[in-house]
Amino acid sequence: MGGYILRRMLYAIPIAFGVSVVCFSLVYLAPGDPLQTVLPPDATAETIEIVKRAYGFDKPLPVQFLIWLGRVLTGDFGMSIATKRPVFLEVTGALANTGTLALFAVPIAFSIGYAMGALAGSFPGRWIDRVVTGTAVFGVSLPNYWLGIVLVIVFAVEWMVLPATGMGPSGSDEFRILRWSDAKFLVLPVVTLSMIPIGILSRTTRAAVAEVRNQDFVQTLRAKGLSEWAVTRHVLKNSLPQVMAVMGLQFGYLLGGSILVETVFTWPGSGFLLSKAIINRDVPVLQGTILTLSMVFVATNLIVDLLQSLVDPRIRRG
Amino acid sequence: MTYRVWGRAALAFGAAAMLGTASATAGGTLVIGMTAGDLPVTTGNPDQGFEGYRFVGYNLYDSLVLWDLSGAGDKAAEIRPGLATGWQIDEADNKRWIFTLRQGVKWHDGCPFTADDVIWNFGYTSDEKAPQFNPAQFGQARAYFGTYAGVEKIDDYRVAFTTKVPDALFPYMMSYVLMVSPCRAKEVKYDWTAYAAKPSGTGPYKFDKAVAHQRMEFVPNADYWDKARVPQHDRLVLVPMPEASTRTAALLSGLVNWIEAPSPDAIERLKSSGMKVVTRVYPHNWSYQLNFVKGPFTDKRVRQAANYALNREDIKDLLNGLMLEEYATVPPSTAYYGKPLLYKYDPDKARSLLKEAGCLPCKVTFAISTSGSGQMQPLPMNELVKSQMDAAGFEVKLDAMDWNALLQVGRGGVDASPDIHAINISRASQDPFNALIRHVWTGAWAPKGANWGHHGNPAMDKLIDGILGEFDSAKRLALLTRLHEMMNEEAALIFVAHDLNPRAMSPKVQGFVQAQSWFQDLTPVKVVP
Amino acid sequence: MPDTLAIDEPLGSFDEQAAPATRVRGYWQSVFYRLRHDPVTLFFAAMVLSIVLAAICAPLIAPFDPYRESIVGRLKPFGWRDHALGTDELGRDMLTRLLYGGRVSLLMGVVPVVVASLIGGMLGVLAGFVGGRVNTAIMRTMDVFYAFPSVLLAVAIAGAMGGGMVNGMLALTLVFIPPMCRVAETATTQVRALDFIEAARASGAGALTIIRYHVLGNVLGPVFIYASSLVSVSILLASGLSFLGLGVRPPLPDWGLMLSTLRQSIYVVPLVCALPGVAIFITSICCNLVSDGLRAAMDVRM
Repeated sequence: MGGYILRRMLYAIPIAFGVSVVCFSLVYLAPGDPLQTVLPPDATAETIEIVKRAYGFDKPLPVQFLIWLGRVLTGDFGMSIATKRPVFLEVTGALANTGTLALFAVPIAFSIGYAMGALAGSFPGRWIDRVVTGTAVFGVSLPNYWLGIVLVIVFAVEWMVLPATGMGPSGSDEFRILRWSDAKFLVLPVVTLSMIPIGILSRTTRAAVAEVRNQDFVQTLRAKGLSEWAVTRHVLKNSLPQVMAVMGLQFGYLLGGSILVETVFTWPGSGFLLSKAIINRDVPVLQGTILTLSMVFVATNLIVDLLQSLVDPRIRRG
Repeated sequence: MTYRVWGRAALAFGAAAMLGTASATAGGTLVIGMTAGDLPVTTGNPDQGFEGYRFVGYNLYDSLVLWDLSGAGDKAAEIRPGLATGWQIDEADNKRWIFTLRQGVKWHDGCPFTADDVIWNFGYTSDEKAPQFNPAQFGQARAYFGTYAGVEKIDDYRVAFTTKVPDALFPYMMSYVLMVSPCRAKEVKYDWTAYAAKPSGTGPYKFDKAVAHQRMEFVPNADYWDKARVPQHDRLVLVPMPEASTRTAALLSGLVNWIEAPSPDAIERLKSSGMKVVTRVYPHNWSYQLNFVKGPFTDKRVRQAANYALNREDIKDLLNGLMLEEYATVPPSTAYYGKPLLYKYDPDKARSLLKEAGCLPCKVTFAISTSGSGQMQPLPMNELVKSQMDAAGFEVKLDAMDWNALLQVGRGGVDASPDIHAINISRASQDPFNALIRHVWTGAWAPKGANWGHHGNPAMDKLIDGILGEFDSAKRLALLTRLHEMMNEEAALIFVAHDLNPRAMSPKVQGFVQAQSWFQDLTPVKVVP
Repeated sequence: MPDTLAIDEPLGSFDEQAAPATRVRGYWQSVFYRLRHDPVTLFFAAMVLSIVLAAICAPLIAPFDPYRESIVGRLKPFGWRDHALGTDELGRDMLTRLLYGGRVSLLMGVVPVVVASLIGGMLGVLAGFVGGRVNTAIMRTMDVFYAFPSVLLAVAIAGAMGGGMVNGMLALTLVFIPPMCRVAETATTQVRALDFIEAARASGAGALTIIRYHVLGNVLGPVFIYASSLVSVSILLASGLSFLGLGVRPPLPDWGLMLSTLRQSIYVVPLVCALPGVAIFITSICCNLVSDGLRAAMDVRM
């Protein structure tokens, strides 16, 4: 068991390296200067050359990659071109804000999704199954950013009960979850963000539960005289691993895919940081954000793998 | 902790919470939703375009020369003394400007303002070898240093600038160069990241705090040297909100009490909710700079045809009235407007001109952006322009790209993009150089300057040399007027629109007078409870 | 990174170890039988078909020109002067824009999935069949891309390349190749281990023959199901990219782009501005339900 854990963790290293290469090269796919946006429209080409030199963008790409990788490994992600703040601060700050969203969205989405799916899977073909499946498909087919816009119009502009945008009346620095005046900023983004995971999880859980129920051992359990409730507990436990894999993926989605929701709600999270970095061609921030988000995703999947193998020792990977 | 509980709590407490957010202080808090995508930098000359100057630059800092933003009169804003009380050209050498500095001014950190500080600041922005050199500031400020050659101290309160060529418009350029405190810079040992967190200038506001990317807060500088401009509100909060619909929602829901550039379609809704919408013409120019090297626009008749083809009233309707029809480079309220030849809507004349020029249908490619500061509503406006020009005999192809890509094309000049025939970058026409000269002067050919299309006309060049060398303002005004009229004779641009600087604010925001300028004076504003 | 799931497979569906060819044919017949008796799936399949047909025939059935503007007639509500669904911010007919936009949006939904299925499928079959080093090389490379959440990867690629319809489709294709590859590889590995493959090898059949006759039939099922479930994801992702300004460029009609440009006009004609969202939603939900029905009919476990 220990050996397996070690192997899986070591395995993550080449993945991480591959991710860093992809990250770095992504940014250089596009033509154009990383510095254009920072300079005023009147800046001449000579000015740009001087500034470029000062930032080190005139060296060849492989050299830039190695320099970057070396720095990254020591925790130095460089400086944001746009704000001149250390990228590490930018990324960790933004990630913390997205984390706040995920802190609420994850338990809500996972518990609601799992409960719905378990119910549906335990009574396949009945009305509850249809209702759950219908709701789930609904949630997965709606463009969630559009739902966000509609929610803002209804709750913020028309009814004025919830705020339209931002993270707290004084920004994320003074955001305290336990204060309603801050926490109310969470409501709409969390609802919007949870929509898709709820849909996906209920579908996956339903499928997993229904499938496990069909297996022979369930008949055996019933034949042995176990109550229906006890049988259901066994079914749920056996369906957990499949569902956990999807939960891990959904957590990654929430972290990395929050960009649309954060754009609509101007939530200062990692997705928002990423979209701004793309527009500004803020190369260091772009690299730092993508790298960090991917690493978190890799770590999440690693943890999910390990948890899965704990729950069901039959599952071993690699 | 499910959503259902939060939802009911929200409805119950939301209304109460909303009511309880009013500030309890005398002057109130002004919360502004800007169009900028991020907070402007506080290290001197700001980024985020002129909006950065408007809200951060001129609030934290002053320049030697300031703009009169009182909004009085009906002419466009002009320059007035700032940290310099006066300036004149050296009688003996017309490449030497002598600036007399204001006495008794203190930086926010308490140090006194003297001539040494001015010298230090120019090292900060332009001298690669100076210890205080800041490459980012070099990029930001250099654009205004056109003819700047050097500066030297005469005594504690006088400095002398040397220019490369005689430049009568030099003081205008100095209005864009902000002065940063050397005391504070030395205190943080030239660590500009640390400086950005505690900037120090001479301006009417002092920096209080900032949350990166989210909000910046200023408080009044009670010791400001201009007693009439100490801010009347207690606090100024700046929030970046690049999406127009987000700004509208934020104002309507009470999150902010002032927004920049509301979308024209939201104006009705804003007004019906009791919001004030203020507009005023200002030196803004939404037009097309043309390719004078290759393509149909090298022929004056085609340029004139393009101008005749446009129905500017319709474009105004598209924007719900939020623009002034543009028939010349600067709006009529400018001092040097004169009597230019105007190309009023006449599609038949356009077509016959094209026929005469032998270009029918005339295929042209326009480079445009999808958004951007000062670009107004670029996509709908360009599509309308295209359909109007197509109806008059052109065949317009729109090459849409993002704002930064367009700026890059603009900097490169026609040599870098020979197959683009017109470029749509909105321009500030605030001072005579930026309004007229940089579009048509051979000395400003891109990539050295902003003359993207390499327009060159010897008569105009001669006139411009005369302007730059004319230190008498009355005589210079006559020359500028002539230049402006010549630009219309030449149809040097395709004239489309002057923006009207719309902003919307809560009825509680009072005392604001909108100036005919890209910059505004926020200090007289009071926010009543 | 999670690769093949090695849960014990109930031997139910492979019980009848008859000659592979007959088994495959019997399987497809039962699929069609199940589909024919599933009215819900058939209904939504018909909906998808009509949406696709409407989009393809847009030039024939659209009442107006999708690029014709009218300043006087902008942002008008339903039914104004023959505009059944109103007009947009430039006075263009919404029904027409939706029909033409459907072409772009459907294209951006289907093309990346098809291309990714082909490329990912081939790579997966290759990896699964050959095994060993080739398998490791291919699957580990896929794992690197799997390390990125899909939305993040799509946005990063599209953003880096500067947006535009083609770059958007490219980004989505790259995002879908790893999962398709993994599905194909899993299916191939499972089949390869079965007895009848050994038998075929023993009787002297070459690799390509085995792949063609035995492997593909079993791989096609899971790949097809997964692809059909990806179509709606692709449509949503593509509209998201356009909404962020990283996908289709104006004046091309596209549902996601229309949502973004109409966002500012929501106070004038809210119902008209909601239409592109409704279009995306309906198309997406129909594709999802058809995909679900196909999965039930083909009874394939992933």
